[in-house]
Amino acid sequence: MKKLKNIDHTLLSLLAMYAVVLIAMAILNPKTYYSVLNLKAMIYVFPAFGIIAYGMMLCMISGGIDLSLVGIANLTGVVAAYILVHMGGKEAGTGAIVIAVVAALVVGALCGIFNGFMIGFLKIPAMLVTLCGLQLYTGLAMIITTGPGITGLPQSYIEIANGGIGNIPFVLPIFIIVTIVVAFILNSTTYGQKVYFLGSNEQASKYSGINNLKVTITTYMISGIFGAISGILTSSHYGSGKSNYNTSYTLLSLLIVVLGGIHPDGGKGKVAGVTISIILLQLISSAFNVMRIDTVITDMVYGIILIIALVVPIVTAKISARK
Amino acid sequence: MAEVFLKLENIKKSFGGVQALKGVDLEIKKGEILCLAGQNGCGKSTLIKVISGAHEQTSGDYYLEGKKVEHLKPIDAIKAGIQVIYQDFAVFPNLTVAENIAMNNSLMTGTKVMNWKNSRELALKAMEMVGAHMDPDILVERLTVANKQMVAICRAIINDAKFLILDEPTTALTKKEVENLFEIVRGLKKKGIAIMIVNHKLDEIYEIADRLTIIRNGEYVSSGDISEYDRARFIRDLTGHDIVEETYHPEKSQEEILKVENLSRQGAFENVSFTINKGDVIGVTGLLGSGRSEIGDALFGIAPADSGKVTLKGKEIQIKSIEDAIKNRIAYVPEDRLTQGLFLDRSIRDNMVAASINKYFHGGKLDFKAIADDTAKWIKEVSVKTENDLVPIRTLSGGNAQKVVIAKWLNTDPELIVLNGPTVGVDIGSKSEIFDILHDLANKGVGVVVITDDLSELVQNCNKIVVMRNGKAVAYLDQAEKHVEENEVYDIFSKEGGEE
Amino acid sequence: MKQNNKMKEILTSNQMIIVYIIVALSCAIGMKNPAFADFSTIITLSRALLVTLIFAICEMVVIISGGIDVSFPAVACAALYIPVVVMKEHDMNSALLAFVMAAGIGLIVGIINGFLIAVLKLPPLIATLGVSSIVSGMVLTFFGTNEISRMPKAIKGLGEVFLFTYTNKNDITYSMTVFIIVPIVLCIAVHLILKYTMLGRGIYAIGGDKNAARIAGFNVVRLQFIVYIFSGVFAGIAGMIYCILCSSANPLNLMGSEMMVIAAVVIGGTRITGGHGGVIGTVLGVVLIALIQNNLIMLGVPAYWQTFVVGAVIIVGTAITSLKAKAIANSPKV
Repeated sequence: MKKLKNIDHTLLSLLAMYAVVLIAMAILNPKTYYSVLNLKAMIYVFPAFGIIAYGMMLCMISGGIDLSLVGIANLTGVVAAYILVHMGGKEAGTGAIVIAVVAALVVGALCGIFNGFMIGFLKIPAMLVTLCGLQLYTGLAMIITTGPGITGLPQSYIEIANGGIGNIPFVLPIFIIVTIVVAFILNSTTYGQKVYFLGSNEQASKYSGINNLKVTITTYMISGIFGAISGILTSSHYGSGKSNYNTSYTLLSLLIVVLGGIHPDGGKGKVAGVTISIILLQLISSAFNVMRIDTVITDMVYGIILIIALVVPIVTAKISARK
Repeated sequence: MAEVFLKLENIKKSFGGVQALKGVDLEIKKGEILCLAGQNGCGKSTLIKVISGAHEQTSGDYYLEGKKVEHLKPIDAIKAGIQVIYQDFAVFPNLTVAENIAMNNSLMTGTKVMNWKNSRELALKAMEMVGAHMDPDILVERLTVANKQMVAICRAIINDAKFLILDEPTTALTKKEVENLFEIVRGLKKKGIAIMIVNHKLDEIYEIADRLTIIRNGEYVSSGDISEYDRARFIRDLTGHDIVEETYHPEKSQEEILKVENLSRQGAFENVSFTINKGDVIGVTGLLGSGRSEIGDALFGIAPADSGKVTLKGKEIQIKSIEDAIKNRIAYVPEDRLTQGLFLDRSIRDNMVAASINKYFHGGKLDFKAIADDTAKWIKEVSVKTENDLVPIRTLSGGNAQKVVIAKWLNTDPELIVLNGPTVGVDIGSKSEIFDILHDLANKGVGVVVITDDLSELVQNCNKIVVMRNGKAVAYLDQAEKHVEENEVYDIFSKEGGEE
Repeated sequence: MKQNNKMKEILTSNQMIIVYIIVALSCAIGMKNPAFADFSTIITLSRALLVTLIFAICEMVVIISGGIDVSFPAVACAALYIPVVVMKEHDMNSALLAFVMAAGIGLIVGIINGFLIAVLKLPPLIATLGVSSIVSGMVLTFFGTNEISRMPKAIKGLGEVFLFTYTNKNDITYSMTVFIIVPIVLCIAVHLILKYTMLGRGIYAIGGDKNAARIAGFNVVRLQFIVYIFSGVFAGIAGMIYCILCSSANPLNLMGSEMMVIAAVVIGGTRITGGHGGVIGTVLGVVLIALIQNNLIMLGVPAYWQTFVVGAVIIVGTAITSLKAKAIANSPKV
């Protein structure tokens, strides 16, 4: 009963924030905000950071954190772009695209496995490993690109993130599929339960016969694959692979998962909260866009929301304890 | 009549809505050893925290040397001479022995500078007083448990303690170390220091205490001279009901469940052999470091044996990892329940299936209904006292929580269950219930190995006993041949080196 | 025998391993480029690592206390940019005022960090990450984003105060900036404080076991506040020094330097989990990273390899540190 109430609490506050944003925009600039064009613009953007947030979520539930996701995304985007350019550039066919996408996913998985191995086997704190990982993967991307971005990608690759059927962009079903997959993995598989166990108490998990190393590596591998999906979408969206796209996504994804009710200590949180939180953040950033507010302010507001999202539950808990 | 050092009257303390202390009285005189006894979750730890200033009581009066004290802060308590030695000793693993010992002293004097030479001298002096021998320059993270406790005691003594509180000081110690500790405690008593020992091992209480105070469920039960308590009254006051004690004698059976032959692991134990027939509950005992725990770790694959033969139900098995152990349906109830056994923030239901989650995955998804049904079944079977299987384990008492750990493994349908210190921190009532479960399992043909240093529990509940000393099995005792007495076992395992 | 063991322990300690690497690396660079083996190298290197060293000392203190602070680049940027903007607007010209403002900005952020982490008990990484984006967002929003290259005179003048100058055989003159004194004094002071005061020991104590520290009578909240305020104030001062050395104020220049600094600290033997570490190791870590950063090109490694090489050095360094910690944890107890 109490557990149910807790989830409701997170969801309720998220819904309240939805209402605030939507009502505010209805007053401030309904014509632009509530237009099909804006809706489409929103849908094109959020899957790239939403999928990264899912990676962050998995790692955080397992008791860790993945700060290397943006690095993985850029590395995999660069790998895909490199393959495409060397397999025909603008004239590259579907075969090349498939190879590029698969290669990107494999690279993402490998990066994740590396992270997971360092964390699970060498027992180096996840924060440090993935911070180093960010540097390492960004560095690799820089080596491949030798600095500037890799351009000249085939149109059909660019279509992945920019095209659609009728009014429905391709990225929407991609995001929905990822959401369903991650929800299924966490809620209905043994692996998912083990992630929660690992995040709740590493020792007890080991003594319950759970192979912590395997679970950790799997978790960071999935996170890496999500990073790769985001990397593919980003490189497709910009039509180039580069080592320093979307650097703000680390903070953004942290903000999303914390707002979505994932506890930084691990073991707690639900996919639904994160999904809702992803869309909320898109609504907010879109509102800023429509209001022509500079991106630097957006970052500041994200920071403020992150702190508030962390502080509010603590303060309310303190107040209720006093009662 | 010695002077009263500390007096508590009707102390109440609540956290949120939960009332941890419901009016406790306590009085301790200078130069007196008081034992505070109570089952787990009775509020002992909270009471200590109130005394040491870590928590402030919700209501009730606190008198120090006759004077009423309000809003006591930890540093004030220390200044008044109150020293607590916590179960985890609260030492700093990253600092040296000398610094750990001298630190409180520097803090108390309020000095701003750190004098390394002084610290070292102070530490050596304290160690001499206590009779401990440690390298003062070594980091505490490299010490054994008993030596960490010594550091904590040295630290308290050097601070001119007037009132020393020891929170379950003997749980992690060997019998020999306990004797050593008690010797030190008696010495301190002679110096006029008031000492309170939290303990619920009856034999130890009789050995050391002058007076006894018993609390139950946060309520004050009784208090008095140790001579006023016989075993029956003690147990009645502690648990609220009488307990019958008898020895376990299974029916004789020739059906062999487990056969361990010449099991060895370098540096831990060598050539350990024993056999479990249907109905047997085998007890493995010995001093800390004798290899008793390591045998459990080896059977569960945490630190695998490097040679020897294990035959389970007629099949020879290899245990090289935890996976191997699980595959062979071996279950392990670990020594440290709170950190190794339980997911404290998760529900009873989650904990119940933690070791068997794989069996609920069919048809491409988890069968949550089966999980709920099985949990309900086990709660009934091992009689966990709870109204709801979705409450976090944290809210359960030690005994109830341990039952969940056992049920977690029973749910894997084990062929062998190894329990390492199964009743540490478990109240007497739950203790006997847990052994009832184990006896029942043994009679159903499950191999049961109990690793323990609680001798009375050992001789009451195990019909076969393996005694370990220095990594060797030095005696095999069978209750069917001759009733085994506690002192008999103790004499064997505490014998120093020499003849085998 | 015991003497021997101690000797062996010292020779295989983290610090000595870094010393070996630094020596080997210097030899390699010196062979490729003989100009490296000159006193001028020390001057250029000092200038290059001066600011990083201040950051690293701050970060080290925070990590020893069991926390982490990733907000210092943002603090430094705010502290170098805001005073310059304000002074230019009001036509003021005082180096002292600039430093007071810089330290003040660091102080405010330090208090905020301290409050979030010590009082509200937020995870330090996430809290300082959030604060970092708020601070840098505020600077960019309210004070602009343009680089200022025309500095107030007093500030510009400070950049041309030198301790001594050195002319090498090719008649190129190198000057040692006066600001090198700041990290030197800071290193000595922090070393003494950490080792010989109860404040310093308290920082180690809370990094080792917060709960034990509280029980022992340390004021954990106060110690954490001190640590984050110290980090903030000196990050601010370091930012202003950086601005003076560059003789320009750019609100984004130092962003992203946190990785390098944390790396230097961890390579220097400070355990990321808290409680262990010291000034000497950190200095060595900073020197090593600065050597690599500044001389990779001389060794024939292309510039775009730099990020990766630094990343690789860090990952190897941290792996060694944590393997050592693991070995200690698994060694037999006495």
